[in-house]
Amino acid sequence: MTLTAELRDILGHDRVLSEPLERWVYGMDSGVVRGDAQLVAFPETTAEVAAIVRVARHYRTPIVARGAGTGLAGGAIPTQPGLVVVLTKMNSVEIDEANATAWVGPGVINLDLSKQTEPHGFHFAPDPSSQSACTIGGNIANNSGGPHCLAEGSTVGHVLAVELVTADGDVVMLGGPAPDPIGLDLRGVVVGSEGTLGIITKALVRLTPNPPDVRTLLTGFASVEDAAATVSGIIARGVVPAALEMMDQRMTQAVERFVSAGFPTDAAAVLLAEVVGLSAAVEAEAAIISEVARENNATTLRVAADESERAKLWLGRKSAFGAVAQAAPDYYLHDTVVPRTKLVETMTRVYEIADRHGITMLNVFHAGDGNLHPLMAFDSEEEGMLDRVKAAARELVEVCVQVGGALSGEHGIGIEKRDLMKLVFNEADLDAQARIREAFDPAQALNPDKILPAGSRCFDLGRPPLEGMWV
Amino acid sequence: MTSVRSALDGLPAQSSPVDGAPEADVTVAPSSFDEVGAILDTASEHHLRTLIWGGGTHQGYGGRLDPVVVLSTAGLDRVVDFQPEDLTVTVEAGVRVSDLEDLLAGHNLTAALPETPGNASVGGVVSAGISGWRRARYGPTRERLLEVNLVTGDGRQVRGGGRVVKNVTGFDLPRLATGSFGSLGVIVQVCLKLWPLPSARGCVTVADGDAALAAAYRPQAVIECDGTTRVYLGGTPEEVEGQSAALGADPVEGWDWPEDPAGEVQWSLRVPPALLRTAIKEVRGKYSYQAALGVGELRMAGDEGDVSALRTWAESVGGALVLVDGPPGLYERIDPWGTPPPSLSIQNRIVQRFDPVRILNPGRLPGGL
Repeated sequence: MTLTAELRDILGHDRVLSEPLERWVYGMDSGVVRGDAQLVAFPETTAEVAAIVRVARHYRTPIVARGAGTGLAGGAIPTQPGLVVVLTKMNSVEIDEANATAWVGPGVINLDLSKQTEPHGFHFAPDPSSQSACTIGGNIANNSGGPHCLAEGSTVGHVLAVELVTADGDVVMLGGPAPDPIGLDLRGVVVGSEGTLGIITKALVRLTPNPPDVRTLLTGFASVEDAAATVSGIIARGVVPAALEMMDQRMTQAVERFVSAGFPTDAAAVLLAEVVGLSAAVEAEAAIISEVARENNATTLRVAADESERAKLWLGRKSAFGAVAQAAPDYYLHDTVVPRTKLVETMTRVYEIADRHGITMLNVFHAGDGNLHPLMAFDSEEEGMLDRVKAAARELVEVCVQVGGALSGEHGIGIEKRDLMKLVFNEADLDAQARIREAFDPAQALNPDKILPAGSRCFDLGRPPLEGMWV
Repeated sequence: MTSVRSALDGLPAQSSPVDGAPEADVTVAPSSFDEVGAILDTASEHHLRTLIWGGGTHQGYGGRLDPVVVLSTAGLDRVVDFQPEDLTVTVEAGVRVSDLEDLLAGHNLTAALPETPGNASVGGVVSAGISGWRRARYGPTRERLLEVNLVTGDGRQVRGGGRVVKNVTGFDLPRLATGSFGSLGVIVQVCLKLWPLPSARGCVTVADGDAALAAAYRPQAVIECDGTTRVYLGGTPEEVEGQSAALGADPVEGWDWPEDPAGEVQWSLRVPPALLRTAIKEVRGKYSYQAALGVGELRMAGDEGDVSALRTWAESVGGALVLVDGPPGLYERIDPWGTPPPSLSIQNRIVQRFDPVRILNPGRLPGGL
């Protein structure tokens, strides 16, 4: 028998792909790194996933779980010739209205979940810009964010339980429907682990009540400093908006050419703020935001008059990356976080880096969280350009780390930032993370080479465990 | 290899015994991470069971300990980095929750930690994974933990997470440490995400708590105490007015949080939120109780009664009945946690890798870990 034959015994012929063109498609996600998919499997049940893991282990073939492949950090590509397990066919949704939760398959598309729960008065709060394509399984793997994570937190706060197929092919439930499940919070560490600790086959997610009212404000400023001061000022006044997004002038101009969202193209920076809640509350909060914006010399100040204007503004924001395609054939999008108070300083340095390397840089980001998304638009056909882009990207990350920031706010580490982990963690910190991984998957059969740089596990640190210890 | 006695004598930062802590051969109160590391390295070498002690308010959870060393975090009491504009604060583990919240309140901020903390330390609350009532609005304490510094059982100093409000840089050690009851290491420092303290605060007593939960649109908390239900409101004055109007009542100004239910034996009953009404019917009249509507936790206190049927039911619906505090003899008759979780073998493998000799609070976690 071969792995292909055994997988076809489990899944049937059609749910195992092995042709070169098919494999080529699944060798990439939305990032810039290409992997080597030897085989692609499409399970429909937990039992099938468990069987796939066991047989792949038998053949010592690395396993990479994958949703829609919208990730930008290369988290879903096989770095070694491997088996890609695509979970998009596992897309059941079971809503529990009384508990405001839903059991969902990993393949459910983020926006579809909110559409299905809308008639029940709920939505799934994490809303990445890719929400019309990305899957809940991928959101959980990357602990995805989105504009509305400012007030609601990232995906981890919205996942109560996960059913996990372990590296041994066992099925285990982590977490549960009641608050504070007893024992170590393994659910919390599996979220964001990018498929290295197991394959999620089902998740219990928390749904958020749809707000009774909403106000969306568009403000424009003559300088990035004024916009950033407005962000700080709003928070200092005790208002944590549902979303607080910033775009620089290059980005608003690109977006306006693309979708005509109504952004002021003469402003150096545009802020999009949204507040939700009872009508009286959102009125008051919108008034505070307006006041702070005026104090900081806002040149444009507009409250979306109705749902269609609001939808248009959000379409503009979420189309930003699509809009860039008009500026250049390729783009490289970064995802770093800095303390909110370091936004202006960081952005000034980020523009300097791009200018020095002769790269066009546009910025659109989650200002309230300090989550930057500098985007470099370029043409990879141009001689030496990709190397310049990569060099600029590294400098940019170093700047963010220097001011006390993190490598990634919502896209994950994957392969792209793996070797940068040493910028933020020392040997003992990385070793501790490697020990967590080792406890789940000692052979590194699941998504090998991701997140942690080679050699993270230092066997000369600390003491070896006692043999057979179980206190 | 030195003898155990001379190892104990050689431990740094020795102090007098801590009030309320069980008897031990030595009490230490380190004031630096290096001291904690040196103590745990020696304790691991000589297999010295070590009990970690913060404010002593959550020591009733889990299995009983017969420690050789008591490690008090009282000497780790510094506010390390307070960034009001970034909504973050970094503190050492021994800082009292009440002191921290006082400091934050001076800047109109809160960490939304337990509202009636008593003597609790920040490290103790994080280690026990305890949340305040306002989790109904802001989520549990584990949602607040941005960064953690641990000294592992064998004395390694480890940091996870970072001091920014949004972060997916590597495995989530802060969340794993929250509620770990010291099994991975001594939590020596944490960075917490903060929230603005609402400018207006009020309380409304209502007849139907379940209806109020929906009508008030995300109140700070809805608590039913022995049949009386109060809705805790907060936000801009307009928000509190709007919420009160939706509830059809005028609020009493301010928040008056309930003290823990009185009784010799204290339990935490945890069920899916929609089943809390069923849980209340079960315990009403038999125990003094406080139920967090919309959350699914019910704190109850009373005499040593037979809780086996209640625990069986709670576990059958995906919850638990956890012993929070009680007389020592009770722990010999009943497992304080109940049925251990199905992931016990993975949990054991993680604990082994952080506390290889298993000296820190051994046996405190579910399943005797």
